[in-house]
Amino acid sequence: MTPDLPKSLSDLPVTAPKWVGKPVNRIEDPMLVTGRVEFIDNLTMPGMLHCAILHSPYPHAKINGIDVTAAESLPGVVAIVTGEDAERWSRVGYTSPEGWGTHCMATDKVRFAGEPVAAVAAVSRYVAEDALELIDVDYEPLPVIVDAHAALEPDSPRIFEEHDSNVMYQRDFKWGDVDGAFAAADHTYTERFRWHRVGANPIETFGVISQWNPISETLTCHGSFQTPAFMALGRAAMHRLPTNKVRAIGQPHGGSFGGKGGGRGIDITALLSRKAGGQPVKWIEDRLEYLSAGGGQAWDRFYEASLAVNDDGTVTGLRVKLLDDLGATGEGFGATGAAKPMASFTGCYAIPNAEYDLTIVATNKLPASPYRGMGPPPHNFVLEQMMDIAARDLGVDPAEFRCRNFIPSDQFPYTIASGNEYDSGDYDAAMKKLLEMADYDALRAEQEQARSEGRLRGIGIVSTIEPGVFDWNAYAVIGQKGVGVPEGVSVSIGNTGKIIVRVGFPLEGQGQYTVAAQLLADYFAVDIGDVEVVAQDSLSAPTNFGPGGSRLAVALTGAVLGAAGKIRDKFVRVAAKLFEVQPEDIELMDGKLRVRGVAGGAQLTVGQAAGILIHRTDLLPDGMEPGAEATFVWSSPDRVPPDDDGRVKSYLTAAYACHLVVVDVDPETGKTEILKYVIVDDCGTRLNPANVEGMIDGAVAQGVGAALLEEYVYDEDGQLLTGTFMDYLLPTIHEVPATEKAALVTPSPFTPLGAKGAGESAIHTTPAAIMCAINDALLPLATRATEVPATPNRLWTLLQAAKQP
Amino acid sequence: MKPAQFDYADPRSVEDAVALLQQHGADAKILAGGQSLVPLLNMRLARPAVIIDVGKLRDLDYIRDDGDALVIGALTTQRSVERSELVAREHPLLAATTRYIAHPQIRNRGTFGGSIAHADPAAECPALAVALDMQITVVGPGGARVIAAADFFVTYLTTSLEQDEILTDVRVPKLTPGTGWSIQEVARRHGDFAMAGAICTLTLERGRCAAARIALFGVGAVPVRAPEAEQTIIGQEPNAALFEEAGARASAEISEPLADIHGSSEFRRHLAGVMTQRALTEAFSRAEAR
Amino acid sequence: MTAKRDVSLTVNGVAYSASVEPRMTLVDLLRGELGLTGTHVGCEHGVCGACTILLNGQAVRSCIMLAVQADGAELMTVEGLSEDGQLHPIQQAFVGQRGLQCGFCTPGFLMSVYELLQHNPAPGDDEIKEALGGELCRCTGYQSILRSVRDAAARLRGEVPAAATEGEA
Repeated sequence: MTPDLPKSLSDLPVTAPKWVGKPVNRIEDPMLVTGRVEFIDNLTMPGMLHCAILHSPYPHAKINGIDVTAAESLPGVVAIVTGEDAERWSRVGYTSPEGWGTHCMATDKVRFAGEPVAAVAAVSRYVAEDALELIDVDYEPLPVIVDAHAALEPDSPRIFEEHDSNVMYQRDFKWGDVDGAFAAADHTYTERFRWHRVGANPIETFGVISQWNPISETLTCHGSFQTPAFMALGRAAMHRLPTNKVRAIGQPHGGSFGGKGGGRGIDITALLSRKAGGQPVKWIEDRLEYLSAGGGQAWDRFYEASLAVNDDGTVTGLRVKLLDDLGATGEGFGATGAAKPMASFTGCYAIPNAEYDLTIVATNKLPASPYRGMGPPPHNFVLEQMMDIAARDLGVDPAEFRCRNFIPSDQFPYTIASGNEYDSGDYDAAMKKLLEMADYDALRAEQEQARSEGRLRGIGIVSTIEPGVFDWNAYAVIGQKGVGVPEGVSVSIGNTGKIIVRVGFPLEGQGQYTVAAQLLADYFAVDIGDVEVVAQDSLSAPTNFGPGGSRLAVALTGAVLGAAGKIRDKFVRVAAKLFEVQPEDIELMDGKLRVRGVAGGAQLTVGQAAGILIHRTDLLPDGMEPGAEATFVWSSPDRVPPDDDGRVKSYLTAAYACHLVVVDVDPETGKTEILKYVIVDDCGTRLNPANVEGMIDGAVAQGVGAALLEEYVYDEDGQLLTGTFMDYLLPTIHEVPATEKAALVTPSPFTPLGAKGAGESAIHTTPAAIMCAINDALLPLATRATEVPATPNRLWTLLQAAKQP
Repeated sequence: MKPAQFDYADPRSVEDAVALLQQHGADAKILAGGQSLVPLLNMRLARPAVIIDVGKLRDLDYIRDDGDALVIGALTTQRSVERSELVAREHPLLAATTRYIAHPQIRNRGTFGGSIAHADPAAECPALAVALDMQITVVGPGGARVIAAADFFVTYLTTSLEQDEILTDVRVPKLTPGTGWSIQEVARRHGDFAMAGAICTLTLERGRCAAARIALFGVGAVPVRAPEAEQTIIGQEPNAALFEEAGARASAEISEPLADIHGSSEFRRHLAGVMTQRALTEAFSRAEAR
Repeated sequence: MTAKRDVSLTVNGVAYSASVEPRMTLVDLLRGELGLTGTHVGCEHGVCGACTILLNGQAVRSCIMLAVQADGAELMTVEGLSEDGQLHPIQQAFVGQRGLQCGFCTPGFLMSVYELLQHNPAPGDDEIKEALGGELCRCTGYQSILRSVRDAAARLRGEVPAAATEGEA
């Protein structure tokens, strides 16, 4: 039974919410600022060994043999595993698309530089790394494919011999009459774009301690898991274990952004523990491993996009052709990033006809991973450039051009061409607010002045959707079957009114424990300090997924309010019996159960009601289960599998944002400086506005990185050239601009309290905005930056070419 | 990412350090602040059998005014140089240059002598050494000798220090009256190694450029002077066109700059010219103001 | 095996001694041998700053320093900031201004801020950026960290803390 969940803050059983909707400080923070949080590497266990992994130096090579005898005889080494052990005790990993997987360590051959080949468990990490140097692997190098286009050639060497090409996936989605729209259009525009690999790079890398119990044949893993239950499910399949024999314990962790990775690390340490007779084995991925062999690389893309536009500026068709280089395998859900753009394919615009010609190809690079945004950020970059290209050609201001094509605010819920439904919004209002805040006309005047002085000043204005609350059905087309992503919590209240909420996900940084506490504090009118949040392991927690796809705040709200509602219903029946009235005459308000409409009458506090449920079962209504606790599992309503054209109502919410960026490009050095950054966003009801603002600021920084600094570079031999933080450049405090922000609030009609998913945030928007600004700056030179990141060298090269007669 | 094993010695005198260097030869590596060496140890890219930690040679930590020069002990941290009132007063170019080195947390450990002995061609201190003709004192089994900066840097991360010699101090000539200075660099991020940089000094006498020095970094295997560019302006009345020409000369006269993922050879060559032009422009304005 | 060396040092006012391999990094000594796990490891090549501690009052990277180099030194780590369960004003400011999200980089930031404010009780934004340019944060985008440092400086100067979190009524 689904209880009625409060649709807005005013539906909460409190006269005025004291916590929800307020920027209350996070309950997580005092522990974090004192260094007392148990990150995985802080954990140690009796008999614990330390793992080091031997990674292949070759991107593509046959393995003719591995000799570990010298390493085995090094004092302090307890166990060594190779692909042979992986074959004996585990399976080939699950992949999407299906059939492009390997064991956790190479067996017959290696497919990317960095692929695990062997691993050592020893008394210290130092000794384990010493032992790696004593392992002798006989590699026979094979031809290397790094170029995605070359990988498509019929005579290209194969990454997987069992497939007759390197094409992992190909499908041309067409929605509406695309050909007709392009044939009938007054104008069509086509451009190619290149987005280079970027990735998550949380400051804490992945870590795990695995312990195999040879007696009970169970596997217990502590680790920095973004989604412990999901990780456990994968490990059970991998190690051929019943699902109730794998316990994943999620430690609080230092960020993930979808790119924590770690699947292979868990499997390898599990094998090592098994080989070591059950001693726990810790592996802390080091930064070099993270960069070259971890979960940190995403979105390696070649785009060709076309827009069909009428004289009046109406966009009638969008074509996007994507060649996505997924790297060596389909592990780790990297391909979801190619499917997700369908959830917001046409952005904020009412474009009735669209085509997505999607090819995913394998190369000898690290398998791609998810990363915050899960795929749309490059797509948005492409779409927004195309909007600017059309606007310029038609002589229409880019902001005005977007406004002409916005989905009108009275058309929600609105189904886009690719099938997803947007819940609510007022894009026009957001754009107007943005231009007003930025003093747009003055900015254009300043730009004119700057241009007359020979400076390259640009203004970028974009608007994007953030699809929120993911559903597996969004990824069904590339092999992730399933509908619904259940998130469950259990809530219990003690006889003094203190509350415990048990969740299935560890601390990760988004402040969700605070949100859970805010909700319960208001629901039962207690202090936020009276709510304790407890993370449970995968064998203890209710059905849950955890953070991902901008979902958790909404899903958690549904779960917490559902559980609270079930407890309230029990309280109401207890009070009704006590006061000898009907349950419908009782209400919970401001933490008291009282007879509706009777002032000053008898009332029960939450603590008293809980106390009766625990200690006075004689007072309970007939048949009532004792205890003031309830579990509720929430999932998005009304989701179904995609139709034959791949159209699907997938993500439940559609937050949106308009960004305005002003940049100067130094024509002599090619360096881009961000001068001004203005944001208007709308993610519905803000459960904790400070959380939302923090997400925006953080995602802007990641967007700045993607647009200007970050890039995984491989040479033509398949070797990673950006294997350290000296070369993979995260933005520092010097590179990230201050932002001016304003919020609109258009509640979602589909979610509890009207909140929308907001965790991915500005990563959807910032790269597009900065690139639009750069291209606006380059406009007088009649050149265009279509490659991301826009590094000084790239921009300078463009400027040089533009100067040539 | 843990260092391989090594033996460790922490001598208490320069003589002991030299004796250890003699004993271990090419197997030994000197550890000063460690800000370049320890990352290489962690990555096992450096594999010395013996680490000679000179950190306890505290008498190599000083900044002394020696009339027409400052003398800086090899173990003086970059941070000490940056914060020194003596340096601020007597050598603003040295102070300014130090602030370009990485970040404060690195400068708190990194030593002035270490950054010169490490000889990274994209680093600031070696370029300053070349720009100012610093005199580098090294001590070996036969005693001390002085090496001019121009003769010190041999190639990438390689100097004319013998295997059994240790750098003990650096003599940093002060700028003469009427001399303006500038350091300009362009890096991907603030604090990163430069894609290209220029350090310039320019001395004005009666409105003409009496002397000029241009040292470039990040554009070759060693920091280099740009003599043709210097000759372009010496004897001339400085102006914008002249600086542009000098920049073009500097850009043209350097040998093939090393390319990496952040900048092609061609781009770095171009940047060297831009940095030269900007540095000369600023140095000139400082010279005029003096 | 290489001979171990004895290292004696003071951390947060407590004297420790340990016998370590010369190759052990200082952060591994602090975390692994002394159990002071508040200092974190993010890159082990001196770029991210998560491992920043104070060595004789100066902010340094403990991942690119050998434990033997710290012999005789006085160290301070994040564990030494709060006293008697009371957050240090810098910590209070970071909580109040949302200067953290996942909190993994935070100990390094706090120690660098501590050094900054010792030398400069009223830093401008440029000075704050200069002090923190070598500390990477992947969550906050740094804007709330800037606010936190301004607020921490004000608290340490004895001024009234700024309104708690941005946007709070």
